[in-house]
Amino acid sequence: MKRVFRHTLKGVVVFGLSVLLVLSAGQASKAAGPKEIKIGNILPLSGPSASVGLQNKQAVELATEKINAAGGIKSLGGAKLVNVFTDSKGDPNVGVTAAEQLINTEKVVLISGAWNSAVTYPSTQVAERYQVPYVVPVSVADKITERGFKYTFRIAAKDSWWTDYQFKFLEEQKKLTGTKIETMAFVYENGDWGTGMAKQWHERAKKFGYKVVLDEAYPSTASDLTPVVMKIKTKKPDVILLTSNAADAILLTNTMATMKVKAKAIIGTGGGHADPAFRKNTGKNCEYMFDVVEWETDLGRPQIPALNAEFKKRYGYDLAGESVDAFASVYVIADALERAKSTDPKKIRDALAATKLCVGQGKLGIDILSYDCIEFDKTGQNKHAGIVLVQFRDVKGTMERVTVFPTKVARPGFKAVFPMP
Amino acid sequence: MNSGSRRKTIDTVLKVALAVLVFTLPLWIKNPTYMQILIFMLLYAYLTTSWNLVGGFAGVLPLGHSAYVGIGAYTSTILWITWGVSPWLGMWVGAFIAAVVGTIIGIPTLKLRGAYFALSTMAFGEGVRVLAENTVKVGPCVVGGPQGICLPLVPGNNLALFQFVSKTPYYYIILIMLCIALFITWHISRIRPGYYLAAGGEEPEAAEALGVNVSKYKVWAMALSCFMTALGGTFLAQLTLYFYPKQILGLDFSFELAFIALIGGRGTIAGPVIGALLLRPVSEFTRIYLSSVLPGLHLVIFGAILILVMIYQPFGLVRPLSRFYDRMLDALSGEKKKER
Repeated sequence: MKRVFRHTLKGVVVFGLSVLLVLSAGQASKAAGPKEIKIGNILPLSGPSASVGLQNKQAVELATEKINAAGGIKSLGGAKLVNVFTDSKGDPNVGVTAAEQLINTEKVVLISGAWNSAVTYPSTQVAERYQVPYVVPVSVADKITERGFKYTFRIAAKDSWWTDYQFKFLEEQKKLTGTKIETMAFVYENGDWGTGMAKQWHERAKKFGYKVVLDEAYPSTASDLTPVVMKIKTKKPDVILLTSNAADAILLTNTMATMKVKAKAIIGTGGGHADPAFRKNTGKNCEYMFDVVEWETDLGRPQIPALNAEFKKRYGYDLAGESVDAFASVYVIADALERAKSTDPKKIRDALAATKLCVGQGKLGIDILSYDCIEFDKTGQNKHAGIVLVQFRDVKGTMERVTVFPTKVARPGFKAVFPMP
Repeated sequence: MNSGSRRKTIDTVLKVALAVLVFTLPLWIKNPTYMQILIFMLLYAYLTTSWNLVGGFAGVLPLGHSAYVGIGAYTSTILWITWGVSPWLGMWVGAFIAAVVGTIIGIPTLKLRGAYFALSTMAFGEGVRVLAENTVKVGPCVVGGPQGICLPLVPGNNLALFQFVSKTPYYYIILIMLCIALFITWHISRIRPGYYLAAGGEEPEAAEALGVNVSKYKVWAMALSCFMTALGGTFLAQLTLYFYPKQILGLDFSFELAFIALIGGRGTIAGPVIGALLLRPVSEFTRIYLSSVLPGLHLVIFGAILILVMIYQPFGLVRPLSRFYDRMLDALSGEKKKER
C-alpha cells in the first residue's frame, strides 16, 4: 500500500502537459465572415421532444431563407441571417452548456429557443448574465418572464393564459349545452411545464368550484402509462386536463382508447397534442378531444394557405402553432436587427424592447398570427399573444384540428361537439 | 555532485514548471468554453479526490456520493435565497450536514462488505433524489421539486456572494480547493490513522486481528469525504447557477466519480486527478459531438475504457504513467532511479 501512496503527482505532470497542448492548439480564432449575423438556436433535436424540436428548426430555416432572399438586414448592408442550431436533448443541463457555448464560442448576437420550459428557464439566465438577448418563441412557463430579466423576450402566451382559455371554454359550454361538470382529473408530465400548468389548474378549479379527483404527474419518458390510465378510469372524472409531450400524448390517448376511458371532455394543452405526429399515431382514438393552441391552419388569415402548402410540400406536414411562433420569431429578430442597425447585443435588446409589429405591415411571419400585434411589455412578455381551442374532428375521412373557440374565430360551419360522444 | 542529484533537479524543475503553468493558465486561455471545461476537470478531480478517501483508502465502493454534492448545493443555496447567508458561509453548513449524514449512513453500512455497501449507498443516493424531486417547499425554503433551483443573478464579479461573470475566479477557487484536498489526502496517507484505514481497506480481518478498530476509521474517512464532497457541491451550484435533482443527485453523477477514480487509480493520490484529466474531455466531446447519436453515450465510452483499464492496468493509469515519467527522467538525466 505504501508503494501505491508514493505514486505522487508524477503522472499528473505527463498528463497535464499533453492536455494543455491539445487545449492550446484549439485556441486559434475563427474569423467571422462579413455580412453574416449569427443567431444561436437551442432546440430539443433528440430525446422525447425531438419531433417538435425539428419542426421548430424547419420553421426557423424557412423564415430565415425568406428573409435572406428578400435582401437580408438592409440597415446592415444586406447582411444575411445565419442560424447555429444546438441540441438541448430537452435536458436543462445540456441547454445551459449550449447557451454558454453559443455565446462564448460561436459568438452569436442573439439566442432563440429552447422549446422546453425546463431548458429555457436556466438557459435564459445564462444569456442574461452575458447580456445577450434571448427570444423565446414558445416556452410557456410563467416564471420565465417573471424574474425581472432585461434580455428575455417571449412571443407565446404564458401558460396561465392557456389554462384561462380551457376554463373559459368549459364555462361557456356548460351554459350552452346544460351539461353538468363537477369533477376533474389533472394528468401531466412531471417537468417544469407540466407542474406549472397543474398549479394553474388547481387555482382555477377552486375558483370555478370543480372537484379535483386526480392529480397525476408522470415522467414523459415513460414507456408504459397503463397505471396512470387505470387511475383515471377508476376516478371517472367529467373532464380530463392533459399536459403532455409528443410520445406520451400518443401513448396516453391510445391507452385510454384501449381501456375505454370516457369523459365529457378531454382537453390537451398544446405541446404533444399539437404535434402532427399525434394525429398520425392516434388516428380515430383522438376524435373529439380538445386542445388549446396559439394558432391553427384554418384561421381566417389570407396568407396561411400558401405558406402552409409550401411548408407541407417541403417537410411533409402542416404548420403547427409552435412552428408559427418560431417562424414569426425570425421576423421579430430581423425587425429588431433592422432597427438596431448594429450587431451589438445591447442595441439589439433595446430594439427588441421597442418592437411593435402588426398584421398588415407586409411581414409574412406576422400576417399569419392568430392575434393582431407583437409588442413586449416591460417583463419581455408579448402582451397580445392569443389562444384558440380546437377539437379533433373527422372531416371527410381525415382527422383535422377544427377551431371551435372563441366562437368568433371558429371554422365556418363548425361548432364544438360537447360533451364528447 | 552526489549521484541522483541531476535527476532530482530535473524532476523539481518539471514539477515547478507544471505548477507555474497550472496557476497561470487563465492568462493563456481566454475562451470561456475551454475555461469551463478546465474548471469542470478540476471540479471532478476535486470531487473524486474526496470520494477516494472512502472509495480508495477505505477499500469500499460508494456509489451514492452525488447525495452529498446535492446536500452541499441545496444547503448553501437555500440558506442564501431564504436568509441571505453568503454561500461562502453556507458551504460550511452544507459540509457539516453532509458529514453528519455521512456518519449516520456510514455507521451501519460500512460494516457491509463488497457489493452490499455499494448497493446501500446507491439506494441512499436515489432516496435523496426522490425526496428532493417531491419536495417543492419546506416552510419558507424553496427546494423546487423536479425543476430544481435557479440561483438569483448578482451583477458583475461578486466575491462576497461567490458569483462571477468571468471564469477566472472559479478556476482559481477550485484549483485551491483541489490543492487542499490533495494535501489532506497526502497527509492522511502518511499518518497512523491513514495506515489503519489502508490496512482495514485491504485486509479487514488481518487488521482487526492486530487490534485496529477498522470501522471507526472507515466512518471517520466517510465523514471527511462527505464534508469535502459537499463543499464541491456548493462550488458546482455557484458555477452553473442552476441545478436540479436529476442532474446533481443522479446516479450518473455518482457513477462518473467512481469511474474516474477506478480508471485513474483508486487509493492513490494522483489517480483521481489523472482520471479526471483523461475522462472529462472524453465526456465533454462525446456530449458535444455524439450527443445526437445516442444520449448517455459518454457513460458507455467510460464503461469501455474502464473494462480495458481493468484488464490491462488493474491498479489504474497512475502506475504506467508514473513508470513512463520515471523513464523519461532517466533518459533526460542519464541516471538510473534508485529502486525502492
